[in-house]
Amino acid sequence: MAAPGVTGGSPGAGAPAQGAPYAVELRGITKRFPGVVANRNIELRVRRGEVHAIVGENGAGKSTLMKTLYGMHRPDEGTILLDGREVTFRSPADAIDAGIGMVHQHFMLADNFTVLENIVLGSEPTRGGRLDLAEGRRRIREISERYALDLDPDELVEHLGVGDRQRVEIAKVLYRGATTLILDEPTAVLVPQEVDELFGNLAELKREGLTVIFISHKLDEVRKVADSITVIRRGTTVGEVDPKTTTARQLAEMMVGSELPSPETRTSTVRDTVVLELRGVTVSTPGGRPAVDHVDLTVREGEVVGIAGVEGNGQAELVDAVMGLRPLAAGSVLVGDQDITAWSTRARREAGFGFIPEDRHRQGMLLEGTLWENRILGHQTRPPAAKGWFIDRTAARADTERIMKDYDVRAPGPDTLALALSGGNQQKLIVGREMESKPRLLVAAHPTRGVDVGAQAAIWELLKDARAEGMAILLISADLDELIGLSDTLHVMLRGRLVGTLDPASCTPEQLGGHMTGAHGTAGAA
Amino acid sequence: MNALRRLGPALLAPVLAVVVALVISSAVMAALAVNPFDVFSVMLNFGDSPSQQVTAMVVIVNRAIPLFLAGLAVAIAFRMGLFNIGVEGQYRLATIVAAAVGAAVSLPAPLHIGLIIVVAMVVAAFWAGIVAVLKVTRGVSEVISSIMLNFIALGTASYLLTGPFRGSPEGASIIATADIPPSGQMPGLNGIFDVFGLANPPRQLYGFLLVAAVVGILIAVLLNRTRFGFDLKASGMSPSAASASGVNARSMVIKTMLLSGAVAGLIGLPDLLGNTHSYTTDFTAGLGFLGIAVALLGRNKPLGIALAALLFAFLDRSLVPLQIADYPSSVVTIVQGTIVLAVVVANEIARRVARRSAAGGSAAPAGGPTAGDGSTGVVPTPPPGSTDQRQGAQA
Repeated sequence: MAAPGVTGGSPGAGAPAQGAPYAVELRGITKRFPGVVANRNIELRVRRGEVHAIVGENGAGKSTLMKTLYGMHRPDEGTILLDGREVTFRSPADAIDAGIGMVHQHFMLADNFTVLENIVLGSEPTRGGRLDLAEGRRRIREISERYALDLDPDELVEHLGVGDRQRVEIAKVLYRGATTLILDEPTAVLVPQEVDELFGNLAELKREGLTVIFISHKLDEVRKVADSITVIRRGTTVGEVDPKTTTARQLAEMMVGSELPSPETRTSTVRDTVVLELRGVTVSTPGGRPAVDHVDLTVREGEVVGIAGVEGNGQAELVDAVMGLRPLAAGSVLVGDQDITAWSTRARREAGFGFIPEDRHRQGMLLEGTLWENRILGHQTRPPAAKGWFIDRTAARADTERIMKDYDVRAPGPDTLALALSGGNQQKLIVGREMESKPRLLVAAHPTRGVDVGAQAAIWELLKDARAEGMAILLISADLDELIGLSDTLHVMLRGRLVGTLDPASCTPEQLGGHMTGAHGTAGAA
Repeated sequence: MNALRRLGPALLAPVLAVVVALVISSAVMAALAVNPFDVFSVMLNFGDSPSQQVTAMVVIVNRAIPLFLAGLAVAIAFRMGLFNIGVEGQYRLATIVAAAVGAAVSLPAPLHIGLIIVVAMVVAAFWAGIVAVLKVTRGVSEVISSIMLNFIALGTASYLLTGPFRGSPEGASIIATADIPPSGQMPGLNGIFDVFGLANPPRQLYGFLLVAAVVGILIAVLLNRTRFGFDLKASGMSPSAASASGVNARSMVIKTMLLSGAVAGLIGLPDLLGNTHSYTTDFTAGLGFLGIAVALLGRNKPLGIALAALLFAFLDRSLVPLQIADYPSSVVTIVQGTIVLAVVVANEIARRVARRSAAGGSAAPAGGPTAGDGSTGVVPTPPPGSTDQRQGAQA
């Protein structure tokens, strides 16, 4: 059933075989979730035998698209064509039968099983009704050799490193006869050498005629490995480009777009009083590598300090460190002159820290809670939520109604469950509740992610007004226009370090994009 | 209409569960060639004379009191997503120590009873606290440790009963602790029957009913009206969001388990203070496990738990009449068991119905309760399979 030797396409990778059907073609795919259009009118064309990258920010809709292609849910509109034939997937099993395999970002392996057992799990070879491990072992050896995966079928998975585990995952889909592999953010968990090894493996797969769809937001990697790149922004495809003739900066620009309403603030309102100071802040990952590496940072009253960077370079950990959600390996956090390194999150909240989290479902909302409960979340120790040891429900409800009106949160009432709201309305409620507590310092991580353009402009206005009134704001964003437009000071974060400070008044999204990918030193003008 | 809509999903699950349980039990009885309607009529028959009827009600309420407390103890932990299976061990150990302390001292009546109650609560809270400390410091699942501690608690209780706390003479058929003196015994509430002009039955209505009612109200207020209750609920709905809001997850685990344990300590006291006055080898067992079923059926709400406790107590009372009428008493066990199974299923169905109606009737795939897909910020309800990503994001 494995048919890797398919010769339908021309073996010369990159050559768009005229007339030959695409290995994978998506036409006008639209996928809606309650309140949100996750994918809108997606067009994707992947030629056989190429590595095709799909890039876009987090939240742009890459994962939704891949889940559609892998049969995990069905699109509301549009068609999927494999080798020119229209197909409908009811489940991943259908997709696997059609030769599509998915390597998930987070491995789905049983640690206490061997490589062999993990690979055959779910499609065990049998002979006369009995498990035929010898046959499985033979086929795995064959796959391992053919694609240079270097796997020992009898090794226990718990003894394997991350790179090896990923190869086991790849072998798993190859074993099931996949001819098109989807790799979801495969480099997110790898160290640089492992990334190089992975790229070597991908080259092998390509040489054997397989098609690889590679999802990433790391532009330098994508340019290194891909034969063609499709860019997704805000749920729709903005175009397909050739990595050989496109710079990382151009890609970044396509990813974040630059036709948005301008978030510009002008006259500086920065005052002298320092609100937040980070000294040599270092945060370790469980693996021991520093996620945040000796970061020094100052935020003053009336100042917006922007942190730019490709996602996954330590911004999330930095935010957690400031909010007291993650212990520091080294360094200290100061508010004014006071060292608050040891303070709990609650103490920081009460000292006037506002927080707009990056992932609102994980850190910002109780989805199964009512709106008024969400209104007081994070503020449950202060009025109007609290009256001594008690929760003041009446005041909390009344204040929720006020916020809903002032911040245009569209919902039936304060007793509505949060999960009934669209993402944009949820975000407006979060922004509203944080702003209404009049924080001294606001930590805003991707404050306009996933909201529509109108709400985005409203949130920008709010941030500008708060800044003018003296609020200190630490802004983390992937939207370059937002960063440049709102920030008074702009730092670039790369691999856990602040690698550069730019003047937002004079820098362009192109320059910023260059710094974010670490490419500004080498690549010249486009 | 509005109230009905709000209460609808809350009532739907337990009512559905009880109905399903009755249907299944009837089927089982029919299969055993027993007429289910005859059985139900025996269960519903409270006797002919007014005195018999009142007695039956007293029996039910007396049984419902410890079940209510057990359900409450389980529900407190449930609210923040902790599964306190150790209620059984907690109350058994607490009761024997409280019985021994109560028998050993002599105090004025209110103080004596108060001391016994405090001792029971402290012992059970301590036992539950072990579970919390293990979870917070070593990451031990509270399910595993509380089951294990049940065995240790029951073993310890047996040792204490046969050893240091033994009060019955050598060779007695039932081993017991020494009797609590009258100052430590709680009077019954039978006076109220006279007030209402009802027949005063020989059996005493436990005075602990008042304590249980006060505890129920206090817990309801604590859970629903206080900052602590809000933190607890938030932790149960989404630990990550609760942490980001400033809740200290570790201290919440400890506080919640201590509270759950303290309430569990009360479970044995209605019988101890109102009836037996000593802990014996045949002291009521299994209330802790029934408490899990009661909490499930009552959907972790004090009022619901009270109703569920009454239902279970009603089933429990019918054991004797069924045996007298020569029907298998295991019918009751079957009904109780099917209720538990049905309620788990029905709760899940009700949750999905509630979610779907909240999400505006759209065909959202039912995801995890609080799953926030780390990589697709715009998707409010990620499809199944995203929970692994969430875990990955937390790791």
